[in-house]
Amino acid sequence: MKFNSWYLSSFLISCFVLIPIITVFTSFFESTSNYYEILKNTFLIEYILNSVTLLFSVLLLTFIFGTGTAYLVSFYKFPGSNFFKWALILSFAVPPYIYAYSLTAFFENYGTAFTILKNLFGDANYNKSIPKFDGMLGAILSISFSLFAYVYILARASFLYQSQNLIDLGKNLGFSKFKSFYKVILPSARPAIVAGLSLVAMETLAEFGAVDFFSINTLTTGIYNSWIYFDDLAFANRISFFLLLFIFSLFILENLSRRKAKYHLNSGGGFKQKEKIKLFGMEAFSAFMFCFIIFFISFLFPLSQMLYWTLKFPENLFNLQIVNLFFNTLYLVTLSSFVLLFFSLISNYGNRVSKNKILNFLSTLSISGYAIPGVILAIAFITFIAWFDNSIVKSLGFTSIKKIFIGSILGLVLVYFIRFYSLAFNGIKSGYEKINISVDESAYLLGYSKRKTFMNIHIPFLRNSLLFIIILISLEIIRELPITLILRPFNFETFATTAYISASEDLLEAAAVPSLFLILIASLFIIFTSKHILRETNE
Amino acid sequence: MKKITIITLITTLFVSTFAIANEVNVFNARHYKADAELYSKFTSMTGIKVNLINGKSGALEKRIIEEGADSSADLYITADAGRCGAMDAKGYLQGGLTSKAIKAAVPKSFRTSKWVGIAKRARIIYYSPERVTGAELSGMSYEGLADPKWKGRLVIRKSSNIYNKSLVASLIENNGKKATAEWAKGVVANMARDSKGNDRAQIMAVAAGEADIAVANTYYLALMLSGKKGAEQQEAAKKVKAFFPNQNGRGTHMNVSCAALVKGAPNKDNAVKLVEFLLTPQSQEHFTNNTFEFPMIDGVSPSPLVVNNLGLDFQQDMKTKLASYGKNQAAALEVMTAAGWK
Repeated sequence: MKFNSWYLSSFLISCFVLIPIITVFTSFFESTSNYYEILKNTFLIEYILNSVTLLFSVLLLTFIFGTGTAYLVSFYKFPGSNFFKWALILSFAVPPYIYAYSLTAFFENYGTAFTILKNLFGDANYNKSIPKFDGMLGAILSISFSLFAYVYILARASFLYQSQNLIDLGKNLGFSKFKSFYKVILPSARPAIVAGLSLVAMETLAEFGAVDFFSINTLTTGIYNSWIYFDDLAFANRISFFLLLFIFSLFILENLSRRKAKYHLNSGGGFKQKEKIKLFGMEAFSAFMFCFIIFFISFLFPLSQMLYWTLKFPENLFNLQIVNLFFNTLYLVTLSSFVLLFFSLISNYGNRVSKNKILNFLSTLSISGYAIPGVILAIAFITFIAWFDNSIVKSLGFTSIKKIFIGSILGLVLVYFIRFYSLAFNGIKSGYEKINISVDESAYLLGYSKRKTFMNIHIPFLRNSLLFIIILISLEIIRELPITLILRPFNFETFATTAYISASEDLLEAAAVPSLFLILIASLFIIFTSKHILRETNE
Repeated sequence: MKKITIITLITTLFVSTFAIANEVNVFNARHYKADAELYSKFTSMTGIKVNLINGKSGALEKRIIEEGADSSADLYITADAGRCGAMDAKGYLQGGLTSKAIKAAVPKSFRTSKWVGIAKRARIIYYSPERVTGAELSGMSYEGLADPKWKGRLVIRKSSNIYNKSLVASLIENNGKKATAEWAKGVVANMARDSKGNDRAQIMAVAAGEADIAVANTYYLALMLSGKKGAEQQEAAKKVKAFFPNQNGRGTHMNVSCAALVKGAPNKDNAVKLVEFLLTPQSQEHFTNNTFEFPMIDGVSPSPLVVNNLGLDFQQDMKTKLASYGKNQAAALEVMTAAGWK
């Protein structure tokens, strides 16, 4: 009986998370409007090319920034290396859309760069000589500098695990530093780097704020336009379908490299704590500069631009109910983390005790919510609720349930749940993988019930993973934009929505205050937990 | 203790959904601080609470549509007649904005029984007086933007922008879809760069010498001149001049911010009261002085910044019904997309 209830609950959780994907796919074969014809003849290829360009440029940049910095801080000692070790994660505090505001504010005609040049060299038309980072280039930079930390964290964790033996191997073969990096160190960290890059890829394809701000036409914009302006949900879903196929292949790639990562970690035996090599002179300076420039551009630059604007237009500071926004954000973070952890634990445990293949497949599929752009998730959720309400609830004679789910905190938390379920699920799963199944068996032999095993043995074991997951979820929700924007209740704003709304009304200066607070809060959060982020990943 | 907190959290989830009060629910796509100030003034005068959900027009409309008859929305307020018209065409609005006060305040072509304009803006041409001669501009019209003499000299924002869609919709209404399709191709051929940035960015592109003429709304220049955007932009704004097109014909293209009454509105009476309030001289003056729009009603003058720098004695297009903007929205986007307007 116990077996059945665990099984059933994890089955239900997986099914719930799958709802939006099913909603998208069911309308795949419906007829489309003439928007499809027009688009096919004009921009469809461009949309696809834009998505691909964006994706691969971001992957390339995050790879260089992420592995480069991770390599330097893991293998070498140079001025500031201990500081950069955690400071580089601060870039997580700046979401791509706020980065986009900063880029525009600084480089636009008569922007901050213009002011600086004018103050330094006097009046002249500098506009033409200031490079313009907007459009595609702007989006690539915004997303790359905001997301490279994924690659950094995972690559660093993997580098730390590399045994001194491996480095000695390179040395013994007479390799130069650079050669042993790409011949020995890089290949053995490959699975971790690929895992980091596939996270970046999914976030890039799901990105809404920055892409919307620079109005680049990607597949995601195509979906949004055909749904919003042509009322062509079928075509929107058709594009989503292709996007999802693409994302699923990334997903499989990620899963495969995870498996390999495990293999590498298990190779064990003869692990020797490695010593960091001390750098001197030019080498030390170059290593410092590389890390500093990336830290500066990814974090200090957007922070100071937002700070500058807040000081330049201080009236915006007093127009904002900061305490209120703070508590709204906190409320969402607390509630969602709680719900996510609770249900991910149940479904993970259900998977563990039932060892059912179908269930395993379902839960693997259901974590794909993370890869679906928030805009699509929110839309699919509303579509589903409307359908469910009209065709089931009302026909049974009940009153409408729409208001309970659309425009309520409940609805918001549910969609967050679908979106971030994979973070929680995978996090707990990897924690569980460290607990040998024989532990469970011994517990049963000792007469522990399944529940007691779960509460008294698994939870304490998983404590570190759980904390790490809470950190990740909180950062995601503080930055989250499209879902909050579409589904939030009346008179409910967060720092993210306030910033976006001001920016979309061409009031970038007013967007600076909420952006600044968002960065500060997320940074504090990162600083207080950085030890944990770094420790957990190298355990 | 923990349990109590969790239970409280969960109950507030549900309670917040069912609060009943003397209120009006506004789906709001205008996000000016000035508007928020007006709403709180309305609340203190009438005791009616204004609940806001802010967002971009497209997403707000979708939410109203999906919520259907159960929508909590009373009023939909947005900065484009085309969006109000499109909602009307889809059947999600209801009649009722027909009180004496509304009819007396708003000219006929700027309202229907389902939605009314609450403030006006014109979409005009900005030019660099250094690089554009009076002769070139003489008799200039929107139609003239496709003239090859502007090749490589024009900037205008993307085709997905609502103001552009309404402008092109009005051209379709006046000249037909076929002629407008040709026109759009001409405009695209004249562009100095691929469309990007907001209206203010177009004006600054002219100031910075990237282009000679730009199309943008009236209030942006006033906003820049006001110094609210900083000293640099104030300087930049002085480098461009405003030109009102189609003065020899039907007049300059006008658009409005509009308030629409949503079908099934649970607080219909309060919604009408709010619209009436927004049309009072005090509210209108508040709009003109803060957002630099043109007033909807007679007897209120635009901000001195607008009057002094843009002029007042221009002929507005009062002939083209604003309801046509909504009707031709999809056709407008189709025409622009087909022309390769990004």
